Amino acid sequence: MSLPLYYYLAIASIYILMTWALYLPYRVAHLHFMVVANMAISGYFGGYAATQWGWPFGAALLAGMLIGALLSWLVSFGIGDAPTFAVVIVGFTFIYITKTAIENWDLIGGTMGMFGIPMVKNLLLYAYLFVLVTGIFIYRFDHSRLGRAASAKFVDKDLATSFGVNTKHLGMFLQTWAGAIGGACGVFYAFFMNSLFPDFFTFHIIGTTMTMLFLGGYTTMWGPLLAAPILWGLPLILPTSIASWRQIIYGVILIVILLLRPEGAVTRQFIRKIQVKLKLVKLA
Amino acid sequence: MEIFIAQVINGLSLGSIYVLLVTGFNLLLLVAMIIHFSFPVVVVFSMYMAWIVLGLTGNNIFLGVAAGISSAILFNIITAPMFQHIMKKRGEVDINSTMVLSMGLGMIITDFLSHSINSGFPIAFPDNLTGRAAGPFIQFGLISMSRGAFLALTVGIVFVTGLFWLLYKTKQGRAFRAIAEDPNGAKLVGLPILKTGLQSYALTGFLGGSTAILMAILLGSASPGLGDQLGHKVLAVSIIAGLGNLKGGLIVGLSLGILEALVQGYWTGTWSNAIAFVIMLIAILVKPKGIFGMKL
Repeated sequence: MSLPLYYYLAIASIYILMTWALYLPYRVAHLHFMVVANMAISGYFGGYAATQWGWPFGAALLAGMLIGALLSWLVSFGIGDAPTFAVVIVGFTFIYITKTAIENWDLIGGTMGMFGIPMVKNLLLYAYLFVLVTGIFIYRFDHSRLGRAASAKFVDKDLATSFGVNTKHLGMFLQTWAGAIGGACGVFYAFFMNSLFPDFFTFHIIGTTMTMLFLGGYTTMWGPLLAAPILWGLPLILPTSIASWRQIIYGVILIVILLLRPEGAVTRQFIRKIQVKLKLVKLA
Repeated sequence: MEIFIAQVINGLSLGSIYVLLVTGFNLLLLVAMIIHFSFPVVVVFSMYMAWIVLGLTGNNIFLGVAAGISSAILFNIITAPMFQHIMKKRGEVDINSTMVLSMGLGMIITDFLSHSINSGFPIAFPDNLTGRAAGPFIQFGLISMSRGAFLALTVGIVFVTGLFWLLYKTKQGRAFRAIAEDPNGAKLVGLPILKTGLQSYALTGFLGGSTAILMAILLGSASPGLGDQLGHKVLAVSIIAGLGNLKGGLIVGLSLGILEALVQGYWTGTWSNAIAFVIMLIAILVKPKGIFGMKL
């Protein structure tokens, strides 16, 4: 496999997972940007554990997921049922604090970054296996009672509560799960790149993943799966002079999709139409 | 003690900027029901517009100020239909969409500024605007206050007082608040919803443009990332105070300014900003609906 293709596929897998990490809490209308901080913390932990303590990739991945989940779970006690804007600002604040801590911590390379993270054989295969397993879990969630409860909470929190949905526990569960995925993304990224820099974990990841989520569609898991590789690949095939305006391109796409198709490209109705065409389900 | 007093005075100047930003943000939230997360990014955009015109006109302050204020008003009015389109249905999810739309606008502005103006390098405002060359405006021992800080504080107090007067003591202010409270009821009693909504965008634009000039005077420079950082602080202040709570925003905005100045006075380095963020984070986690209560 050529290096550019490997690089494209590697980062595409990270963006698919990151967009799913945003998608899950957004099922209850939470834009949980803290997953970017989870990604940075777990990525640095995984990188440090591999370079200094000689941990294998699997152990680093598991630890990264646990750290991400634990941090998100602890924070979710405060914002599990908070309004969206509070969840957003907590995410931004965590990113800022994490970035400042990394930049000022010489042990993990500070502003210079962390180098020498070992290469892992078949890492791309592991990444896509992880995407597959995560996708299966999300699919099962979406088609479960919990998934329907999340949809009810998204539309009308009071109605969901009156139906007996514990909106706080549901929010906490989804934020914790998203934190684990964010943590895994950090470890995968660290081992793909073999180095880490604090400047990567900034607000441009939020802009990119948010555009992927809203362009693909936030009502089904298929939207992010479709939009992430396309949007990540788009600047790679454009001329460099245009591709350098990536954030403006993403911003314009985000605004246009919000104005013209607020639920995104792949909606539940769209999936239903395809299922009917493929005769997977009968027309009700 | 002198350091403490000096930092409190500096903090009040910085806090008055936060108060202006939070008030503009809250005004849009109350009247137009939008979470304009990138309102501070628009303010930084106006600072850049003022800088460009100052450069083109040989540092003509009048034209620079006019460019800063008019660009913010124009930007707000031009983008208003987008927000109104999304806000056709009023509800929590639609408010969230306005926040995402605003973030999209912020991404475009920030990337535009970092690509197209001054090759992405920070810009510096001329001395005849900032008054840096004239030295401190007030000086008692260690306590000193620059002309910019004095101007930011006094103009900030005047603007916020004027805005509160407009909102709570005038007919137009009652119209703003009535639309925020119950848009259908306001329509029923004959209030022009569209016109009043546009007036709120224009008023917020004026407030944003004026804040841009005050920031140019107080800080003396700007960078493309400044808007994002201010955006987080403004939303945090607004949440801590209680979203849409103007009086709460005044108190928390000034408190944040003083807190930051004190931390910078006693704890130098890049950690100082993070400490303010940690305190804000704790406040939001403990009271996610605000100290003074939401006014939505």
